[in-house]
Amino acid sequence: MTKTALFKLGLAAGLSLVAVAAAQAGTVRVTVAEYSAKTGPYFEEAAKSFEAANPGTDIEIEVVPWDVLLQKLTTDIAGGSNADLSIIGTRWLLDFVSQEVAEPLDAYITDEFKGRFIDTFLSPSVMDGKTYGLPIAASARAMYYNKALFEQAGIAEPPKTWDELKTSAEKISGLGGEVYGFGLQGKEIETDVYFYYGMWSYGAEILGADGTSGLDDPGAIEAAKLYKGLIDAKATQPGVTSYSREDVQNLFKQGKVGMMITAPFLSNQIKEEAPDLKYGVTAIPAGPSGDRGTYGVTDSIIMFKNSQVKDEAWKFMDYLFTTEMRSKFTEGEGFLPVNKEVAASDYFVNNADLKEFTALLPDARFAPVISGWEEIAQITSDALQKIYLGEGDLEATLKDAAAKADAILKQ
Amino acid sequence: MARRLSLQLTGRPLPVPSRARFLPYLLLLPSLVLAAGVIFWPVGDLLEIATNDVNRFGQLRGFNDFANFKALVADPNFTAALIRTVVWTVAVVGGTILISVPVALILNEDFYGRDVARVIVMLPWAVSLTMTAIVWRWALNGESGMLNSALRGLGLIDTNIQWLATADLAFPVQIGIGILVTIPFTTTIFLGGLSSIPPDLYEASALEGAGPWQQFRHITLPLLKPFLNIAMVLNTIYVFNSFPIIWVMTQGGPANSTDILVTHLYKLGFRIGKLGEASAVSVVTLAILLVFTIVYVRLAMREEAR
Repeated sequence: MTKTALFKLGLAAGLSLVAVAAAQAGTVRVTVAEYSAKTGPYFEEAAKSFEAANPGTDIEIEVVPWDVLLQKLTTDIAGGSNADLSIIGTRWLLDFVSQEVAEPLDAYITDEFKGRFIDTFLSPSVMDGKTYGLPIAASARAMYYNKALFEQAGIAEPPKTWDELKTSAEKISGLGGEVYGFGLQGKEIETDVYFYYGMWSYGAEILGADGTSGLDDPGAIEAAKLYKGLIDAKATQPGVTSYSREDVQNLFKQGKVGMMITAPFLSNQIKEEAPDLKYGVTAIPAGPSGDRGTYGVTDSIIMFKNSQVKDEAWKFMDYLFTTEMRSKFTEGEGFLPVNKEVAASDYFVNNADLKEFTALLPDARFAPVISGWEEIAQITSDALQKIYLGEGDLEATLKDAAAKADAILKQ
Repeated sequence: MARRLSLQLTGRPLPVPSRARFLPYLLLLPSLVLAAGVIFWPVGDLLEIATNDVNRFGQLRGFNDFANFKALVADPNFTAALIRTVVWTVAVVGGTILISVPVALILNEDFYGRDVARVIVMLPWAVSLTMTAIVWRWALNGESGMLNSALRGLGLIDTNIQWLATADLAFPVQIGIGILVTIPFTTTIFLGGLSSIPPDLYEASALEGAGPWQQFRHITLPLLKPFLNIAMVLNTIYVFNSFPIIWVMTQGGPANSTDILVTHLYKLGFRIGKLGEASAVSVVTLAILLVFTIVYVRLAMREEAR
């Protein structure tokens, strides 16, 4: 193990001692993921106002960067020093439920509470009829396009289909001067997701109706050919396998790519970092038969089974999901509203960018709730990187990946 | 031990009374216990996890007949990572030593501004490895990286080079950065070694008509040998287990083509959640390093004894 990892482990051990000492007096420990620089201050403020209204309860917030959240939770749970509440990626929830780490919340949830949520976002945290988490953050994906580049290339409208996208992207790349048509992600987390956008448009699903991997479906092969064709036609930025999602977003902010697909938070980043960029948000292109799909993501806040202060913890959860707290959080982070009242508020009704995202929600797919999902995602990303690099036969690579995924699904 | 035994056999009195013979061991005991606690307890834990069926959260579910190790052997990514780790270690350690010896020789000479030069060589040591790797990742970015714009400014290239897009380019670059960050430590060892060589040896050899190359070959190199050995062993251990450079720059990608054992282990353990297999990888690296260190130290000591 690396030195830093050991250090963190030691730190976690040290902190857990402190935590055990503090846990006596009605202290609720909350692990939160750091979405942006605003996350920590938001939760600290929420803790402060909650404590003022509920004397005797202390809220302790631990802010953890996203990249190491799962690692921290794993070590904490293994050592029995986990917090009372934690934000987790909803796609991890199955593991937490099957290992009996997460506490079902149904005993606490009233009809009024349930009524606050938009159903689409609450449903991924429901398993076997029990609600194990509440959607603290929600997001979907849409396509951003650079209006200035479109104008220069003489394209009037953003593309509606992948065929149109290819033509537009080639035109923009043809402008020269190191601008590229379509920003394609080929590295690190969600490399697989960037491919699913195309795959869904061509009618393939991550898991087919028979429960096996859809990676070797004709639609997936078509989509892979499409992406590889974009790379070969130089319609994407060069060297796609060295670009993570953040790297492609940076290219977009620098005005170097014409189009990219990503989450609502890019709007907030552009506002702060590149306010002069003229951009628009539009739907993800459709396939030949009109199919399209966006990736819906929720993060859940869960309660741990071994918590000693469940009632206090629930009270804090309830507080976090009041309309006022939700709108502050959702606006600050640039997420999609999960509360009905928040969605109906002026900020969201008048936000043109966010409208495009919410319009796509009927086509949203969530990461399938299966154990071993992370491993399948890894296998998919590895296969895609091979295809993008032009190593080996495209169909054989996808078939091989599908076989590996099926082996995991059978376990 | 052998020498002391022979002393006893020849009938010469021991230098200390026999009761006091245990005193040093007794005095050492507390730190031995502490060291054992710090070293052996985690290793024992590691062995336990590696030989058990383990769930995502590290809870053990019984001995599983070395299934974790069998899974590793069957995994082509593990074998590839193992071979790549050897290439990585040999290239970084070898490259570092090849460069550090002349650097140390130059810094050992008395020249104007030597102190500044020493500071500059040592500086990379003061920056955290992760930070260095992040800065390099930015510098190597294909479209907005400093390296490409510098090379273009100098007129050396016309189109941007995609440094990290393929393993063919990314892995050598990572090895180069590995060498760069290992040089300060290694140079320090060699500078210490050089200062221990008495200058009159050089004077005497110069009187006998030895040139600089002969002096290096017959005086510097043999007397530097123990320091070379130390640098070799310590660097091998550090580099074999070095995580940040590869993880930050490529996460072992694209398609696992720059994975070494530690990055493979991290993915297994914390991405996919196979803590048992990850621990098995860890046991394998521990075994390799242990065997290497013992064999190397034995060989080095035998040579010295000769």
